[in-house]
Amino acid sequence: MVVAALFALPFILNRLGKIGEYWIWVSTEIIISALFASSLNLILGFGGMVSFGHAAFFGVGAYTVALLMKKGGIPLIPALMAAPMMAAIMAAVIGWFCVRLIGLYFAILTLAFGQLLYMIVFQWYNFTGGDDGIHGIPKPALLTPVNYYLFCLVIFLVCFLLMWMIVNSSFGLTIRTIRENMDRAKFIGINVKRFQWFNFIIAGAFAGLAGGLFTELNRFAQTDFLHWSKSAEPILASLVGGMYSLVGPALGTAVLMFLNIFLQQIHQDLIEIWAMILGFILLLVVLFAPDGLVGLYGRIRERIDSFGAI
Amino acid sequence: MTPQFYLFLLVNGLAQGMLLFIIASGLTLVFGVLRIINFAHGSLYMIGAFLAFSLSTVLEEGSLISFMLLLLLVPAALMIVGLALETTLFRRIYDQEHLLQLLLTYALVLILDDTVRVIWGGDIRNVPRPTAFSGSVDLLGLSFPMYNVFILGVGPLIALGLWGLLYRSRAGNLIRAAASYPEMLGALGVNVRMVMTWTFLMGCGLAGVGGVLMAALANIDLGIGMEKIIECFAVVVIGGLGSVWGALLGSLIIGVGISFIQLPLSRLAVVFPYIAMALVLIWRPWGLFGRPER
Amino acid sequence: MEGYVNGSIPLGPFKRGSMDRDQPILQVKDLSKAFNGNMVIHKVHFSITERELSAIIGPNGAGKTTLFNLITGYHLPDRGKILFRGKEIVGMQPYDIVRLGIARAFQRTNIFPRLTVLDNIVSTIITSQRRNLDFFRPVSGRRGVHEKALEILESVGLADLAHQQSGMLAHGNQKRLDIAVALALEPKLLLLDEPTAGMSPEERWRIVKLIQRLWDQLKITMVFIEHDMDIVFGISQKIRVLCYGSLIAEGSPEEISKNERVIEAYLGEEIS
Repeated sequence: MVVAALFALPFILNRLGKIGEYWIWVSTEIIISALFASSLNLILGFGGMVSFGHAAFFGVGAYTVALLMKKGGIPLIPALMAAPMMAAIMAAVIGWFCVRLIGLYFAILTLAFGQLLYMIVFQWYNFTGGDDGIHGIPKPALLTPVNYYLFCLVIFLVCFLLMWMIVNSSFGLTIRTIRENMDRAKFIGINVKRFQWFNFIIAGAFAGLAGGLFTELNRFAQTDFLHWSKSAEPILASLVGGMYSLVGPALGTAVLMFLNIFLQQIHQDLIEIWAMILGFILLLVVLFAPDGLVGLYGRIRERIDSFGAI
Repeated sequence: MTPQFYLFLLVNGLAQGMLLFIIASGLTLVFGVLRIINFAHGSLYMIGAFLAFSLSTVLEEGSLISFMLLLLLVPAALMIVGLALETTLFRRIYDQEHLLQLLLTYALVLILDDTVRVIWGGDIRNVPRPTAFSGSVDLLGLSFPMYNVFILGVGPLIALGLWGLLYRSRAGNLIRAAASYPEMLGALGVNVRMVMTWTFLMGCGLAGVGGVLMAALANIDLGIGMEKIIECFAVVVIGGLGSVWGALLGSLIIGVGISFIQLPLSRLAVVFPYIAMALVLIWRPWGLFGRPER
Repeated sequence: MEGYVNGSIPLGPFKRGSMDRDQPILQVKDLSKAFNGNMVIHKVHFSITERELSAIIGPNGAGKTTLFNLITGYHLPDRGKILFRGKEIVGMQPYDIVRLGIARAFQRTNIFPRLTVLDNIVSTIITSQRRNLDFFRPVSGRRGVHEKALEILESVGLADLAHQQSGMLAHGNQKRLDIAVALALEPKLLLLDEPTAGMSPEERWRIVKLIQRLWDQLKITMVFIEHDMDIVFGISQKIRVLCYGSLIAEGSPEEISKNERVIEAYLGEEIS
């Protein structure tokens, strides 16, 4: 049912396209961010580990596309295929170190590596353009805003399908098993580190793809893409939407994006304190609804069902 | 690159390390007793630094008394902030999953860091050093900034003070007992909640002291909170969580390391904590003081 | 047969080429472990033969659970060896030790709370079959695995709770699930840490009958830690007694019941 609604969207928006190109752009951004958030949720919701440095892979994907297209003259499609590969390699390296640790230490190390990568990109002026970033990335004429939206939507749906398969596969069950009880998982014969590593790499690859798509959408790549505050977005989206479900992150992304726009309309100043608002939302969610909107929905459904039974 | 130059780097590194210790000790103390890693510890330190700046503008510039006043008022203010945080937030998550604790304190980082930005803006600030400490000291043919020497002196004092508190006073016994045997202590009629709250306040106070000292040492900006918490993490990774001595050793190592790594990698000097962390975590994941219990 | 001995029992280690029945499946040699300076396990030395059903008993704090932790690779001993079917397992990772054939059920239930009862077992089976690196085929499609999982749940009496969230089960059922997870590994040596802890008397006997039935049907070696002496003396073939980290006695239930050192350890006084 949900899938049907998603397919209807492009056609509805196609009409709007003539009126609101802005909304097309926003929707495309939501889709890309939803991909980013879903990728993180593989680690967070399904893996049970907090990664504060996921933006690193987003950024690697973004800069890969930017550099390949701008400086290498490579067309979009190959660049977009390279993005997740580069991100996966980076995730393999970083992940190898990080999965040696559990819980808190894992989170700290992901943060550290994320910042490390941020600083390297920041300082490496000759290659990455440092603080200026890389601008003027070519866009093929074929990709009008509407077409690019559809392009991203298709890619997102394909990725979503892949993630669905992975989560429901034996690998996915094993990852969830590790999340539930890491010690016991070892005692049923699971090589926990190895599985967490693979999961980390897969998540990184999807994030890289999202980064590449994002860069092409905006036609620039910026150091901000790797900053720790960028890493916060998917965490929030996953929590708000519901980290134990596959659609949660996408839902959360949409909600937060709409909230952002809504606040902008109400009062320009409110956007100035967006980080603070996000912090408060996170606080409330963690304290009162850790399973997010999807979880809430589930609980409300249960209550209604139990009423109906009477 | 004379040996004197290395000595200079060493002393400066030790000073930085001492400052880091003051802050990291608060973090590790809070973890030892409350079993919460307060991600927002760096943000508290940053608030302390900026608060020091604001107060310094209304106090007499350069006077030693003003500086002492800062060292008293700012930690006190932070303790009040800490009290608010502990009673409203931290209490609710003592027994929660670590994942949620992490996310909660992370939410605090977002809120507090942005609050600092809103109140103080994005400009670089600093606190003028007291004139008593503003010159240099000549030792062994080298000129050391007096302020650095001051920190080098204050650090061990605080370390000693902490040691005295923890190992030689009744309050300290309570704190250490609460870290190891909270239920037992509760059964003996001790108000463990109080101990936990006070420990948290102490942690905030230490962050405040660190903030004041740092504001007079170097320029402060909006990034120092995150920078410092990562350094603190490196410290506790190296020294082991919950160990004050470990925090001392870890801080000195990080401080000296950052100082020396300026030579080969000047622009990336700040990466030293990360490299150190990664190395320790790969080679001895249980910290330099732990044992491989698996 | 010797009664109480603070050393090895020549039950099988030196017989070569004889019946499989009497070969040692597990040999613990001079095992020692200290935590923070406290000697928790001190020079423990014994052999378990294949298909033995034995109990480990001892006053609280005697080190029984630590012994299980050492055997399963959760801790590293300070000194000594552990041989599983002749192979040295000290230093191996827990997951490798599991793959060799040692499984364990825990004292405090240690299951996977948000997974369903069935998934707890399914996950274990696909792991032990080494099929868990499959990224694409949905687990629900694996009929064979699901059938097997249901069989195992049947054998412990949990089949009708298969789709419940395991974290919501009553304590007794969680314990059964814990045992079922260990069984799903098709172990050759099953270690049960206080399988009846926290249960009502009738539940206890049901679990005991379950253990006996499983031992009978599966013909595996089982060792359990227990405090309930009726159970211990009721079903075990052999009893080993730990006290303050040392093995103070080893023998048949009859021998142990008459063993003075054992009585002293539990009652702390001499029986005249």
